[in-house]
Amino acid sequence: MEAKSNQQISSYIIQSQEEEIKRISIELHEGVGQNLYSILTGLQFIESGSQEPQLKNHLREMSQLIEKTIQEIRLLSVELYPPVLTTLGLLPAMKSYIKLYTSTFGILVDLESAGTEKWLPENSRIAVFRVCQEALTNIVKYADTSNVKINFIWTEDELKITINDYGKGFQPDEQEDSIQSSGLAAMQERMLLTGGQCTISSKIGEGTSIELSLPLKD
Amino acid sequence: MSEIRELRPVLEVCDRLMAEAGCDFVGLAIQNTVGPDVRWHYAAGNLNDKYERITVRFGKGIAGKIISSGSAMMLADFPNDIFGKVTDYPIMLAEKLVSSYAVPLFFNAVPKGVLLIGKRESFTFPEHVQYQVKDAAEALEQLLKEHL
Repeated sequence: MEAKSNQQISSYIIQSQEEEIKRISIELHEGVGQNLYSILTGLQFIESGSQEPQLKNHLREMSQLIEKTIQEIRLLSVELYPPVLTTLGLLPAMKSYIKLYTSTFGILVDLESAGTEKWLPENSRIAVFRVCQEALTNIVKYADTSNVKINFIWTEDELKITINDYGKGFQPDEQEDSIQSSGLAAMQERMLLTGGQCTISSKIGEGTSIELSLPLKD
Repeated sequence: MSEIRELRPVLEVCDRLMAEAGCDFVGLAIQNTVGPDVRWHYAAGNLNDKYERITVRFGKGIAGKIISSGSAMMLADFPNDIFGKVTDYPIMLAEKLVSSYAVPLFFNAVPKGVLLIGKRESFTFPEHVQYQVKDAAEALEQLLKEHL
């Protein structure tokens, strides 16, 4: 009874956090980003009408600065909550995140999907996406690798995801009190809360493998 | 911009700096001619080729902050005492750097590049090394201004 109540509280906290993250992400993209875009258009209009070379140059530099800020606002917004996750689903959102991941950290990710993608409930979609994000972040911090392989396998009743990093690996029983271990435990907990499972195995010198499974119900 | 790696004088400045400053890594990031993206175009002492794929995020990490502020920056003991998250410093993680010192490269009085030196141990870069980096950055500004 108590365990069930704890689970409900955890689910509630996570859901509230996700809703807040989504709100900030949309506000950044639709609010701040759009306003900056209007300012950029205005500056470009003034620049095109200006005859003064010094002023023209100054306006161009300001436009470039705003362009960079818009780009960073968009990236921040997508990092917080990818809109593709709502519009197109888990797999396109992962593909989009991987592009950003490679251009941010230089790590190449090979993603393959077998079977037909199913439309997941929003909570499951977010949970699986966040666990994959956490796994990829751990790889940046600890794995010391340049290549990652992710496989999505869709069957009638289950989605299975494997993430292999071919990095330096770790001794799972030596990580019990570390931050890394808390992150791994959080990934497992998050999958459990959404009705799935997360298994982590690692071997020094051979890398780490994470296996996620999520039952697909009609 | 890909031809920076083929400009021998540029490589010589970077390689000389690495020897003189006694550091493990030297990286040169420059803003692309088209668009606002800043990328690492040359590295010496690198452990892998991740830097070639990294795009510097405006305002983030050591290079991004230098481009947005136009000021030099030092990290003496990464990841301790950093501003933001560890993952905001991709070049430090990619190259396993523990300390770094970086300065902006100005073109038409606007910061559009970064010259970074790093070590894979905790280290506070002394003033004379900071001057060596600044001198190298000025030399690079002269060499690269025609290419931007």
